[in-house]
Amino acid sequence: MAPPLPPGLTPSEVGFLCEMEHVTVIPRQTLDGLELLGGPTGALKPPFPTPLPLWLALLLKKQRRANITPPPWLSVEALTQILDFETDERTAELFSPSPNLPPATTSAPLGDAATARAQADALPYHWLEIGHLLITHAADDFDDLDAVRKLLRDLREVRMSKLRKGFEVLDAGGGVKMNGVGGMEIAEVRGFVGGVVDGLRRLNRSREESRKERETEERENGLGSSSYRDDEDEDML
Amino acid sequence: MAPYYSPTAILTDAQKAPTTFSLAVPALSHSPLNNNSGTPITPATTLDLPLWLAEMLAVSRPSGPASAPLATLDMPSALGPKVMNALTADSTSVELRQQAQWFYGLGERMLELFEDEEMGAVLLNTFKKRALEIADKAQNTRTAQQGGDSGDFMSGLDETERQLFRAAHDGTHTVKRWFEATSRG
Repeated sequence: MAPPLPPGLTPSEVGFLCEMEHVTVIPRQTLDGLELLGGPTGALKPPFPTPLPLWLALLLKKQRRANITPPPWLSVEALTQILDFETDERTAELFSPSPNLPPATTSAPLGDAATARAQADALPYHWLEIGHLLITHAADDFDDLDAVRKLLRDLREVRMSKLRKGFEVLDAGGGVKMNGVGGMEIAEVRGFVGGVVDGLRRLNRSREESRKERETEERENGLGSSSYRDDEDEDML
Repeated sequence: MAPYYSPTAILTDAQKAPTTFSLAVPALSHSPLNNNSGTPITPATTLDLPLWLAEMLAVSRPSGPASAPLATLDMPSALGPKVMNALTADSTSVELRQQAQWFYGLGERMLELFEDEEMGAVLLNTFKKRALEIADKAQNTRTAQQGGDSGDFMSGLDETERQLFRAAHDGTHTVKRWFEATSRG
């Protein structure tokens, strides 16, 4: 029997998927629209900015056929603001919230999370991957590369330590609210967190079973008042 | 129920627990269970039997449902009060591997057989605390390999914890590899 693949996406798969996100490109050469599997791309006419998938943008960038405009959240001001939010005492418990959801559309599956129209004060799902790819491969399109790089690294460290704090409250039956965690960050800790929760669940199983038995017994004997019991069941779910 | 093909489940079930026979079992005398010593098993003989066998013996009642079981299962020393006290005092300083290779698996099976709320709570707490420690150690494998302060802790991990360590380490490692791979051309 072949060993089953680990559940969930691996970091390299997440890194691959992030290249589907659109970024804004300022072309240097004209190029007709391409019919790609992921949908048609707009025609490139310098110097009008056009959204393109990240992988295509990086390819054109490498061939010096285009420049990439970094998304607004990848600027020194925006990153400083987000970092302040992450480290502020009042919000130190939280991850900075993800961007507002775009209105539901049927045409574009991917939003503007990384284009020039992106929300400036929120980190999108693929922030770590896109940030890394852009600062390594489109370095000359940044005004202040070193500051951006430093801020990204700070953000990553702050958020990793928050994830670590989240490990402390893992429990057999409970859920932990971790809104705003990025795709790469999830892929990184998935194996560990899954293992811990599974281990806790197994150790807790017999206790849980006896508790359930007791409850059904009590209910059959008419000891517990029904409304109170129902509330508790809902909490468990 | 544990999956049939899972080596983890098989190895967990092969761990031994002391079993005290309450009946004489002459037919077992030449079996490997009794070290081939040839002496018949008399009542009150205590043998270390694998869990799967011990469990069957403890629940079987050879002369009718009202009779006494063939054997009684005792708590293995790995889960005895001494270890439990040590775990309550400082869960990270106990070498679980010395106690049992699949410590938590053993605990899980024993919790199914004995209703022991206190032991369950201690085990849960231990698992949580040690998992945190493992997460920290997995970030920096060099200290773990070289030994040093953490060497004792690492060699005292039971198999479940080793798998956790691996999972935590693999996560960090693959992310790092992705970053390195995408930094090159």
